[in-house]
Amino acid sequence: MEVNQKVQLPTIEYEGFTKEESAELRRAGVVLGPLEQIKGWARSNSLWPLTFGLACCAIEMMGAGASHYDLDRFGIIFRASPRQSDVMIVAGTVTKKMGPLLRRLYDQMPEPKWVVAMGSCATAGGPYVRSYSVVKGVDQIVPVDVYVPGCPPSPVALIYGLNKLQEKIRIEASGKKVSS
Amino acid sequence: MFGFLKGLSVTFGQMTKKKLTLQYPEVKPEWPERFRGIHQFIPEHCIVCNQCARICPTSCISLSGNRDENKKMHIDTYDINFEICILCDLCTEVCPTEAILMTDQFELATYSRDELYKDIHWLYENHVKHGNYQQLQAAKVQAAKEAEEKAKAAETEKATVEASTAGSDKGGDA
Repeated sequence: MEVNQKVQLPTIEYEGFTKEESAELRRAGVVLGPLEQIKGWARSNSLWPLTFGLACCAIEMMGAGASHYDLDRFGIIFRASPRQSDVMIVAGTVTKKMGPLLRRLYDQMPEPKWVVAMGSCATAGGPYVRSYSVVKGVDQIVPVDVYVPGCPPSPVALIYGLNKLQEKIRIEASGKKVSS
Repeated sequence: MFGFLKGLSVTFGQMTKKKLTLQYPEVKPEWPERFRGIHQFIPEHCIVCNQCARICPTSCISLSGNRDENKKMHIDTYDINFEICILCDLCTEVCPTEAILMTDQFELATYSRDELYKDIHWLYENHVKHGNYQQLQAAKVQAAKEAEEKAKAAETEKATVEASTAGSDKGGDA
């Protein structure tokens, strides 16, 4: 067993600095990066979702927020107002009656904002896919970033989805596009 | 003041207790045996009886197959529209040959809806990483080993019996 393998920090060469200068910066513990990337890092680690439960998926979302799974570990803290939130976790069935209200809540959220479609219903209508009164996928109303399938997805699956969203925010901040 | 201390005593009482948060991305959860994750499909077992597609409450399974020269059915395509699958487990219950199984794979979040269409290859490959199938496979290997050992034991017994009878025959000749 090789336990004492040295952890190799990536040697970063900063733009506009000589080799010695960037080594000096690293030794001093200074981290430099493009402003967008730093913003992405900050945003991805303080995602504040809107408390927005529509059906049984909301129970799993509450479970993910409670102490056993604890979303606070990722800086994900539920807010009670759309004006204070960054993410909308659409947890549950969106009926055609609820659609305009969902859109209004989305519009009330300040930029930048993201949407997670949680569960089969929000993704594509789920068991109500042949219903007359259910929106077949929340992406018909708002742009969705991450789809979490399941009926309902377990809290762990939701955490995986939110981690994927954090990843997406960081990738997009570095100017790349996520491969869909 | 007393009420304040009373409240804090509960808080401090909790501090000595065991931490119960599951450290998920680092520590994987241990699921019970009958956890329902995404399916795994084994094409060799399938007899194209169409029962899974018929019982599916959301009709998310579509399959096709044809008959070969020995008049045996073979699966050609097998697609699960995982967007609307509700993981009810009815397809695995109804399957007569256990060609479709539930794994404990739950990490399925995607950036796009198209990725949620799972075809036969994806569903077959699904066993590589995950639990249930490996357990089943291990049990199968174990059973095969035991059967082999039994057969070997029986063979050696037979051989010894034959040898002894042969010896007695020889003895009779002499």
